[in-house]
Amino acid sequence: MALEKQEKRPVAEKGEHIIARHLIEDDYIKEEKNLVIDGVDVSGRWNTFIRTRVDSEFDRSFFREVKETVAGSRINRCWQCGMCTASCTVTPLYRRFNPRAFIYMMQLGNLKELKKYVDVAWRCVGCYKCSQRCPKQVNPAEMMEALALLIKKYFPEEMESKLKVDEDVKKIYEDMILGHGRLDLAKLHTSSMQKMGRTKELIGKMERDAIFKMIKDGRAFSILKLGRPHNWGKSKRAIENYLKNANTLERSEA
Amino acid sequence: MAENILVIGGGPAGLNAATMLSELGVKVTLAERDLFLGGNPKKFKYKFLFPDMQPADNVVGELIKKAETSSNIKVYLSSEISDFKENGKKFDAQIKSPDGNEIKTFDSVIVATGFEHFDPARDAKYSYQLFDDVIDIKDLERMMGEGNFARPSNGQPPKNVAFILCVGSRDRHVGNQYCSRVCCTVSVKQAIELREHFPDCEVYIFYMDIRTYGFFEDLYWQAMEEHDVQIVKGRVAEITSGPDNTVICKGEDTLLRGPFEIPFDMVVLASGMEGGPQSSEMAKKLGLELDEHGFLKPQNVTLALFKSNKEGIFLAGACTGPKAISDSIIEGGAAAMNAYIYAVRNH
Ligand SMILES: Cc1cc2nc3c(=O)[nH]c(=O)nc-3n(C[C@H](O)[C@H](O)[C@H](O)COP(=O)(O)OP(=O)(O)OC[C@H]3O[C@@H](n4cnc5c(N)ncnc54)[C@H](O)[C@@H]3O)c2cc1C
Ligand code: SF4
Ligand code: SF4
Ligand code: SF4
Repeated sequence: MALEKQEKRPVAEKGEHIIARHLIEDDYIKEEKNLVIDGVDVSGRWNTFIRTRVDSEFDRSFFREVKETVAGSRINRCWQCGMCTASCTVTPLYRRFNPRAFIYMMQLGNLKELKKYVDVAWRCVGCYKCSQRCPKQVNPAEMMEALALLIKKYFPEEMESKLKVDEDVKKIYEDMILGHGRLDLAKLHTSSMQKMGRTKELIGKMERDAIFKMIKDGRAFSILKLGRPHNWGKSKRAIENYLKNANTLERSEA
Repeated sequence: MAENILVIGGGPAGLNAATMLSELGVKVTLAERDLFLGGNPKKFKYKFLFPDMQPADNVVGELIKKAETSSNIKVYLSSEISDFKENGKKFDAQIKSPDGNEIKTFDSVIVATGFEHFDPARDAKYSYQLFDDVIDIKDLERMMGEGNFARPSNGQPPKNVAFILCVGSRDRHVGNQYCSRVCCTVSVKQAIELREHFPDCEVYIFYMDIRTYGFFEDLYWQAMEEHDVQIVKGRVAEITSGPDNTVICKGEDTLLRGPFEIPFDMVVLASGMEGGPQSSEMAKKLGLELDEHGFLKPQNVTLALFKSNKEGIFLAGACTGPKAISDSIIEGGAAAMNAYIYAVRNH
């Protein structure tokens, strides 16, 4: 049920009157609220415009900005062979995470395109497989770091809205570790689903089956038997300290 | 009496062939169509040569000097072979020059008539000759050779320049399917020269493949890594006029999928090499074969690139296909060796 709902493309209200509306991305449609042309009020049906889909400039200031950072200093080397994407740990999970393409967008200063990937652009897990394979020694892994920083700088609002859930989940994660000294996966799962507004799925057939299975094989009860790690108070303080420092650092950088 | 050998064409290939033969004591007749020796590098004032940016004078100037000072070489400038006949195992040729007509008998012949630059005006989509700021690599080579790097339209330094590769090559539409081999390397070389001259000018190269084969690859890496030359994948399909005296390149960025229309101050077309009218002229006059690309056809492209289909007539340089100066010079030597062997045997 939930799946069916996702598959159906939501009919955007924006540009509803356009025939073959599905061919045009939301970003390219512009609607004026109160449009008056030559004294005639054309609001309503005639207020819709489709922006040109043609790129009309390369903006090298972005390239220069990246090149000046330590992580991005080798951006000029990349010749788009795709070995980084081919070796990436994350790409198979998130096909839209494409280090090769992100580097190209940065080279040409194509912020319009980059903006579409704010939700995935920071997903690099730092495994460095790409950097190990890159024939030009671009160090794409660190390029992803430069990218994340720049995205934060250029699209703060998008970051905020697109990454809200992730921030929330991070909080749940932290509280769990600090509070219990371990992860309660079942709880992490349910809380995250709630945060994402997918509560309904939690009582779906798949979930029910899984819970039933875990009760049956005893895994559900083993959680109760797990106590806190030995001497947890000390570790907890260390982690709290670390997080505090990291936060201060982040704030002072911004 | 010494052997007599005719060399047609005084470019790098013909010059080296003539010089080597003269050192063997052969009497060489060097017939050159132009007013000067040195071939295309001289005609278009190449200043620095790929792959190592050495002054063209060190190479072509050196070859010309040797040929001009050799007592065994007789040079005919502004000349043509107006008549050519086989005479047993030898050849009778009439050389028409400003000094009149001369008929001589030769033991063997080397054809080194070289190539012509593809004329981009033949491919209307690039608007060459329509806009002053659309030039090609030979024009830029000549401009830089004359110390003139400015925009042709207004004499100002350009703010951004686009190179477009494969103009007149690898394109059925213009009838040339082959790769011209040198234009990629010439383009990255010129991109570096532009960036060195105008550090504030952005340089882009629109490419389908970048074929800087062998060690020429070094220049390509340098262009990107030391001079921030940006490569963009996609062939430009149209050049139109833009705002503020710019020219707009229309193309598709095939890596991101999507059309672009970018204005540039200057566009440089990497026009390729063609066999030119001289190849078919030689084929007709000397009874040689042309290949399907319009260059002279070697007897065997792998075993004997320097032999023609006719016994006693040898080929050297870009008349058999696109190549770099070093290859042309080497082939001049190989053709000289073979022409000498043939001449000695039948003398
Ligand atoms: C823009 C450009 C830049 C280049 N830069 C480099 C570079 O930096 N380094 C490099 O290695 N290579 C370079 N090349 C390649 C180089 O130009 C050629 O490899 C070289 O010129 C070939 O020498 P050739 O003697 O075979 O022919 P050509 O140089 O073409 O010489 C042929 C000669 O024959 C004469 N001729 C033609 N027809 C007749 C006739 N019927 N009768 C008498 N004479 C005739 C011509 O006038 C000419 O003098 C470049 C090529 C281009 C297009
Ligand atoms: S970063 Fe390296 S591996 Fe990735 S596309 Fe560029 S050159 Fe290739
Ligand atoms: S370091 Fe990041 S970008 Fe590189 S392979 Fe690993 S996950 Fe992918
Ligand atoms: S050398 Fe480069 S520009 Fe020239 S035809 Fe070949 S691929 Fe095209």
